[in-house]
Amino acid sequence: MTRALRLAAPLLVLAALCAVPLAGERFLTYLAIRVMILGVFASGYNLLLGQTGLLSFGHGAFYAAGAYGLGLFSLHVSAHPLLGLAVAVAAAALLALFVGFLCVRSSEVYFSMLTLAFGMLAFAVIWNAREVTGGDDGLVGVVRGKLSLLGLALPLGKESQLYYFVLALFALAVWVAHRIRSSPFGLVLAGMRENAVRAAFAGVPVRRYRLAVFVVSAAFAGLAGGLEVLLEGSARPFMSHWTHSAEPILVSLLGGLGSLAGPLAGSLLFVALREIVQRFTEHWMLAFGVILLLIIGLAREGVVGTLEQLLARRGAPEA
Amino acid sequence: MSEPILSTHRLTNWFGKVCTAEDLDLAFRPGELTSIIGPNGAGKSTLINLLTGHLPVQSGRIVFRGVEVTRLPIHARVRLGICRSFQVVNVFPQLSALDNVLIPALAAAGRTRRFLAPVSRERAARAEAEAVLASVGLSERRDTRAAALSHGDRHLLEVGVALAARPALLFLDEPTAGMNPVERARLLESVRGLAREGRTTFVVVEHDMDVVFSLSARVVVLNRGEVLCDGTPDVVRNDRKVREVYLGDEVIDLMPVAEGARP
Repeated sequence: MTRALRLAAPLLVLAALCAVPLAGERFLTYLAIRVMILGVFASGYNLLLGQTGLLSFGHGAFYAAGAYGLGLFSLHVSAHPLLGLAVAVAAAALLALFVGFLCVRSSEVYFSMLTLAFGMLAFAVIWNAREVTGGDDGLVGVVRGKLSLLGLALPLGKESQLYYFVLALFALAVWVAHRIRSSPFGLVLAGMRENAVRAAFAGVPVRRYRLAVFVVSAAFAGLAGGLEVLLEGSARPFMSHWTHSAEPILVSLLGGLGSLAGPLAGSLLFVALREIVQRFTEHWMLAFGVILLLIIGLAREGVVGTLEQLLARRGAPEA
Repeated sequence: MSEPILSTHRLTNWFGKVCTAEDLDLAFRPGELTSIIGPNGAGKSTLINLLTGHLPVQSGRIVFRGVEVTRLPIHARVRLGICRSFQVVNVFPQLSALDNVLIPALAAAGRTRRFLAPVSRERAARAEAEAVLASVGLSERRDTRAAALSHGDRHLLEVGVALAARPALLFLDEPTAGMNPVERARLLESVRGLAREGRTTFVVVEHDMDVVFSLSARVVVLNRGEVLCDGTPDVVRNDRKVREVYLGDEVIDLMPVAEGARP
């Protein structure tokens, strides 16, 4: 039954996601886009944290690199959304190649602190380079161009049109994350997480592979940043702030680090909780903190991990 | 006499004021099972750490199959064929026994960069990993997490992880430490079998003299970073300095006849 559920669950989720705009609720469609964007960010980030065991506090910088990359490209070169997203991914990956080269030489807490430092540096640069980035106002007025592909020009002006575009890229990103996790490269990442010294003595160039997964996870962050600019029409400096870097960590903890579905379920819960709690109080992080404490205290494997354990227990023969 | 598979030239290492390797000139010949013995602090594990890249070399040179490897990182030495096991079990604890040996098998085959195809399609590497597990007697435990294996099985798995990297030269650092007699016999049987195959040259650091003298064709005795004695088990057993510093007369009398010492 669990195996059947594993096979059917992605198709059911995809079908449900396809149906969201049909409800005709614009706000619901908007929220679903936000969930998918966070899902792209978190599923890429979890390749680094859950799969490789590296905790980065600087991924907001790569998200912002994607956002500003797409924004500047759209304002000055072309508003083609796919070209803009390619620039977003490339900008984030290039920045990660430089930052990662310096960070992966350290491990554990030193790695985390270095990524935090680079993230804060990126925030300071964006905040102060007003002529290029718009400073604290951000980069505003980014328009969504038509999606010209294979002779067709598909408009993305309406929320529902953008929704299916984001859904396609979300599905692609999740598929890529899934394939990486189950590939030889993914197994090596898990080995590095478990025991980096042993991985080196198994013939794995640990630093190089850490850098590779760092760049890949940054590319996911860049894609997510670019998608947010397409949704909101602006890039904000706080995208690179360390508090934003913490979002994929919180989301991964909420859903569970050990699976592909964990960060995705975490993204849904995170956005839903924020919307619900913010209706009652401005201090929604306070409520979220309590929920996270409960999750870590009572369900350390996250929502998905705990559900999987319960299902496995139900499916196991009684002693 | 055949060319050494690995040789050291004036290899020196200091930890503060303590010398753990002093101008060491050692050579290991292909196919020869060598044991390194010596009192605690003699520099046995340090020597392995230097030869495998776990410690940087302060001065001196290491040559492996004619190639200088003194400054090469660990993974590059492993790719050339130098591998090791550790004194304290060092495996991937949350991965299955099969995945533990699959990682080095994939690395040895140059397949670890593949990032979109499922690992289940790596049939050749999987077959090799299965064969390695069988050679160390762990086929039935292939799906068990390494952390859930017994201490002896984890030691065997670690030898398997090292073997899956296709080593030409394998250092085993106290491989039987903490094992019960049954586990120890299984491990020694595996090592003897693999040594007989001749593809791998074994160098074993060991405190158990039964193991050393029944397994080895050659014994190197280290003391304070220097070679005290180097020869066949008979030569070492009868060396006066070795008796004084390490073995003692009573231990010598109880030692088994050196089966592995026969040419």
